[in-house]
Order: sequence, then structure tokens, then C-alpha cells
Amino acid sequence: MTPAVAEAAGLLDLAPFGPRDDARLIGELERLTARHLEGCPEFAAMWPDWEPDGTLAGLPYVHTQVFKHLRLRTTGAGIEHGREITSSATSGGAPSSITLDGASSALQARSTTVILSDFLGDAPRPLVVLDAARSLRSRALTARVAAALALRPLSTDLHVVLAEADDPASLRWDAVARAIEGTDELLVYGFTWMLWLAWGAAALPPEVAEALRRVRVDFVHSGGWKKLEALSVGRERFDAALLATCAPGSRVLDYYGVAEQVGVIFGLCDHGVRHAPAWADVIVRDPWTLEALGPERPGMLQLLNPLALGAPYHSVLTEDVGRLHAGPCPCGREGRTFSLDGRVPKAELRGCANV
Amino acid sequence: MSEVLHRFAVGDRATAVLLPFTLDALVADWSAVRRAMLRTVPEPFSRSEWAHLVASLDDAALRRPFAETFGEPAEDAVVAALARPRGRIAVWLPNNVSLLGPLTSILLSLCGAPATFKVGSRGDDLMTPWIAFVREHAPDGPLRRWAHDDVELLAVGREDPRCARLAADACARILFGSDEAIAAIERLPHPADAPAFAFGDRRSEVWIEPSEVNDASVRDLVRIFAVFGQAGCTSPRRAVLLGGSPADALALRDDLVQAWPAVERARTAMHIASANVAARQRAAAAGWDAALTADNAATVAAGDAALPVVESPMSLFVCAATHDEAVASAPSNLQTLGHVVADPADPAWLSLVARAGAKRFVPLRAMHHFGPVWDGHAFWRGLFEDVELVA
Repeated sequence: MTPAVAEAAGLLDLAPFGPRDDARLIGELERLTARHLEGCPEFAAMWPDWEPDGTLAGLPYVHTQVFKHLRLRTTGAGIEHGREITSSATSGGAPSSITLDGASSALQARSTTVILSDFLGDAPRPLVVLDAARSLRSRALTARVAAALALRPLSTDLHVVLAEADDPASLRWDAVARAIEGTDELLVYGFTWMLWLAWGAAALPPEVAEALRRVRVDFVHSGGWKKLEALSVGRERFDAALLATCAPGSRVLDYYGVAEQVGVIFGLCDHGVRHAPAWADVIVRDPWTLEALGPERPGMLQLLNPLALGAPYHSVLTEDVGRLHAGPCPCGREGRTFSLDGRVPKAELRGCANV
Repeated sequence: MSEVLHRFAVGDRATAVLLPFTLDALVADWSAVRRAMLRTVPEPFSRSEWAHLVASLDDAALRRPFAETFGEPAEDAVVAALARPRGRIAVWLPNNVSLLGPLTSILLSLCGAPATFKVGSRGDDLMTPWIAFVREHAPDGPLRRWAHDDVELLAVGREDPRCARLAADACARILFGSDEAIAAIERLPHPADAPAFAFGDRRSEVWIEPSEVNDASVRDLVRIFAVFGQAGCTSPRRAVLLGGSPADALALRDDLVQAWPAVERARTAMHIASANVAARQRAAAAGWDAALTADNAATVAAGDAALPVVESPMSLFVCAATHDEAVASAPSNLQTLGHVVADPADPAWLSLVARAGAKRFVPLRAMHHFGPVWDGHAFWRGLFEDVELVA
């Protein structure tokens, strides 16, 4: 185990939402930044004058749009690059592409399992994934598939139930029926829009509906609300429709994560805020000055974690807009909390349509 | 209204141009519209877009296409040729296009031909509000009749069957858009003798002599670039300092960064600010010495002429180059070369401009001026057909 892996693994030993050791996290991020500056020439060119100053806001970042154009890689001892993960590019643009490496992937898998366990418990149960088997078999790893596989450690068996990856009408209810045979607990994962169209807004076959009434389901979704906003479907209606299909005690977990920060996800607690685990942090930056903003001031989210060894995606400036919150959350989780307000509003610049 | 013959002459050769109005009356109508324009800036036009349109409608600007194409008015000259409008003209405009639609409409009004504009099916469309404004403010006369009776707007997708009918019925086609979109339109069946004028993907840059760098030229460069950023085919993506040094390029970059907030005072859109943060990083990674202006309104980068320009809406690149390096590194689809040079009339420029492949060599301030000759096509002249006259 290299020192970098050991340092990151050490942070993962902390309780995800227990007391934080921010000085240790910042120190680790600064050391990791120095390694990326040494091993990734493009990152070094972006930040030629950086010096550690012991603050979170002083840490360099890579804008997420950069990952749509450049394949950044950090070379160094113990780093073996593997396949790439691509974002879903729901906004219609080019997808981001992040080069993974073995050591980081192991840390990232451990991270997501610990975070998800905190929200969902760690008792294994069948996992239904609203995707197609072809997606999971593909050599190309998408953010959607990675999100589904992150739940694998919490499952007993995996049921991939769409015939076509992007067609909610292709949900095979017979496969769902097989998944719930002999169990009273179930995990269901899908992108937010897919979970709504395939399950929440769908008419369940009577035999599946009957069987589900005795199954406690944890619905887990990610990927954002943009498509559902167009359908005027809000969270309350979304949750209510899903929970109406299953046994009391069922839950809906919405989490936020980006392909450029694979391994760290930010779950939405019952009090409506998102929580960063002890090994990650969030900064909100003013889009026009890049100043780090205090609580309740909206800006672009910068996400940081020390689990990215093979490329400088340890600190990314996203085009997601949010705000930090001050004070403890009534849910009892400690650490940084924030809200996600949406995306940087887009508008094409008028011209000759050549860009 | 009956047709009116207007005579123009170059030297002793006169051309009679048949128009469905008297040119003086049409120009007067546009003057009335122009006066109304001075009182407002309608949505969704920006102030700079509206100001550009106003400037395009002064008396001299409206008469210039005739002067440049057929010569000066010469009512008593002996006519050697006759030109008459071909008939209905179809114009394809892409989504989110800026002023090309309104500017083209002004030119088409001058030849009096009926026109159908296929406007974007998504995004901003400036043609619809522009024609509405003209219809509302033109006095009774030829312009009002043309705008009401002869102008048609078609806001449909590219695959709509009405596009095919438009191509089939038009006597001439003017195509703006990407090369790929234009190729698709060209494939639509059309009359064999209907000319097409295609204005596809183009890039522009400005050539500057270091001796001409001063506060005024720096402000002009900011102003001209910022109108459209990289989205404009006439916007300079690159400023090339001819015969300058890398230090000169860096100094110009710093001058541009410093001048930007004083010249461009509008609030930067959040997505543009964000795109500029990313562009600065991409440019730095590519080897440019890149900086952000105040409020992240733009990225300005200095570097070697051989470096690739980073595509981003509001990113401007500065490099120093010899004349040969400037020519060699010019984009293959170069359209406009803006110049900030001591003697643009020096014949030495002719060979350089030709070798660079530029379609226009104009002062920096005139880079966005649309005219009857565009992308190397005398397209406005092509909207008339010629009748040979032999006495």
C-alpha cells in the first residue's frame, strides 16, 4: 500500500458522519494536490503558482467542463490506470470522462458502501436495478452503471429489469416479481427520471402490486430532477407515488453525486439537506469572483475528497449551484451540510451557430 | 406598384436595374423605421445588436450595395445591360443566429424580391421580432408592402416537409449554418437554375502591428470580440501581432484583461463566467498563458502561434508571429481578417491576404459589417438575373 492509499484509507476508518478531523483532511488533500501537480502536467499548467496554505478554499480545482475535453492522468508509484467512467451528459453536451485506477477504485467502492450503509442500513437484500443487462456488461462504464454497482455490496442478489436501458416502458415486471419472491426487504435503484417513469408513474401489474404490499422497499435514486421538472413532478409527489406501491416503513433516498467525484455521494436526509462524509468536503464559490462563500449564499459547488489518486479529480468545480448550511442538522449527522439548487442556467450565445 | 428602371454606371457601361419601387422611396421608408428604432431596444435584441442594425440603415449604407454592384446612379446613361430580381428567395437561418437574418432582410428588401426566411425552431429568433417591428413602423410605401405582403417566416425544424417545398419553390437560396446543416439543405430537390449561396463554418482573426497597439485599438478589439465572442463567424478568435515578440503578446493580453471591464459593462451571465473558468484551465493545459478578466467575463490567453485555439464562447487568444507564421497558422476556413496596421493599402498585404485564404480584409471596427459580397460570394448581385442587350 502506497502512502497515498494509506492516508486515504485512514480517513475512511472514521465514522462517515461522526466528528470530523478537517485539519487532517486538508493536509491530506494538500499532499494529494502536490502529487497531482508532480504527476499530471496539464494540472500543473493550470496551477503553476500554487502553494499550500492550510485552508480548504486555497486548494486548486479542476472545472468539470475540462473533463469533457481532456483525459487527465496522474502518473506515479503504485498507480495503474484502468478503464474510464463517463458522465451521463444529460444536458446534451459531451460527457465527462474520468480515468480510473485500481487503488482509487477500491477506496471509492469502500467509501460509497459506508455512506450508503449509513442511510440504508447494511442488511443485505435483493437489489433491483432499473437498467438493462447490456449496460452492465458493456466495457464502457457510465455513471449510471457505477451508481447501481455501488449498491452491490448491500445486496444479496442483483436483478437488472429493463429490456432497453433508456426505455422505462421496457421494465420487465416478471423480473421484479422474481426479485421479491421470498423476501420482505428490497433495494431498488434507478436514475430519478427512470424510477419515476418506469415505476412511480407506471401501472403495476396486479400480482406485482399485491406482492409488493408486504415488501419494505428502499428506493435509491440519483441523477437529478431536470427531466422531471419538465413533467412538473416534484419530490413530494415522486416520493408519495413510490411509497404507495410498497409496505409501510419503505423509504426513498435521493443522493447527489457526479462522475467527476466518483466514490463520494451526498445523501439527502429526512430534514432535506445533503451531508458530506468525514472524508469529503464542499465549498460554494461565487461564479464571478470564485470567492469561497459562507452559509446560505448560492454559488457553484466545489467538491473535494482524497480518494482520487490516478487523476486530479480530487477537487472539482462543478456547474451545480447550491448553498452551504450552518449549524447541526436535526438528523444527527455531523459535518458539512448543503442544499442543491440546480444547475448553472444555460443560454446559447447568439452568433453564426458555428460554436 | 409598377416596376421602375434605375440606371447605374461604372465608367461608360450602364446597367438598368428593374425594381418594384423607386429606390428613393424605399430608402425613405427605412429612414422612418430607423427613427423609430432610435426610441427603443425591443426584446430580445441586445443594445449592441440594435445599434448595429441602426447603423446598417443609414442612407449611405442602403445605397452602397447598388453602388458597389452596379455603379453610381446615372439616369441618362446608355444602357448596356438589364438586371431584374430572380423571384422568391429562400433564406435558411440556424438557431440562435444573431443579426444575419435582419441584415439579410435589409439587403433583400433592396432588390424587392419576395423572401421566405426559415428561422430557428428553438432558441432565440431575432427575425420574427425584427419583421414585426418593420411591419409596425414602416410608413405606407414600398417597404411596408414588402414586409407585409412579400416576407414570410417559417419557424419549423429542418426535417419539416415545408423546408423541402421552400427549396423546390425558391428562385435563389441563401444558406446560413454549419457545413453539415448546409449540406443537408443542399440535398433538398431544387430548380436546376436556382443559385445557392452557402455561408457555413467560418473563422476570423485580427492582424495587428505592434506599433498600432494603443488604448483605442485595445478597446476596439474588446468591443468587436465581445459582441459575439467565438459564436460569431466575423469575431476574431485570435489576435496575431505581426512581427511582435512573445513579450508583446503577453503585454497585449494584459492590456485586454485590464480594458475589458471598462468596455464591456454588462453583467456576465453565470454560465459564461463558468465557461471562462474552464476555458482558462483548458488553455493553460494546452500551453497558453491564460488569464481571466474581472467578473470572469472572458478568458484572454497569450502563446505561440502554433498552439490550438480553445473553443469556448468568450475566449480570445493572442500570439506573436511573422507574416509567414500568421499565414501558415491561419484557420483553413478563414473568413474575415481584421486589420490594425499602419498602411492597409500597402500592396504587400494583397499577397498575404490571398495566401491566408481570407474572404475579407477590413479594419478591425468593420469586421462585423455585413454586405452584398460575403464569404467570397457576390451573393446580392446573384439575386438578380441578367438580360443581355444588344442594339
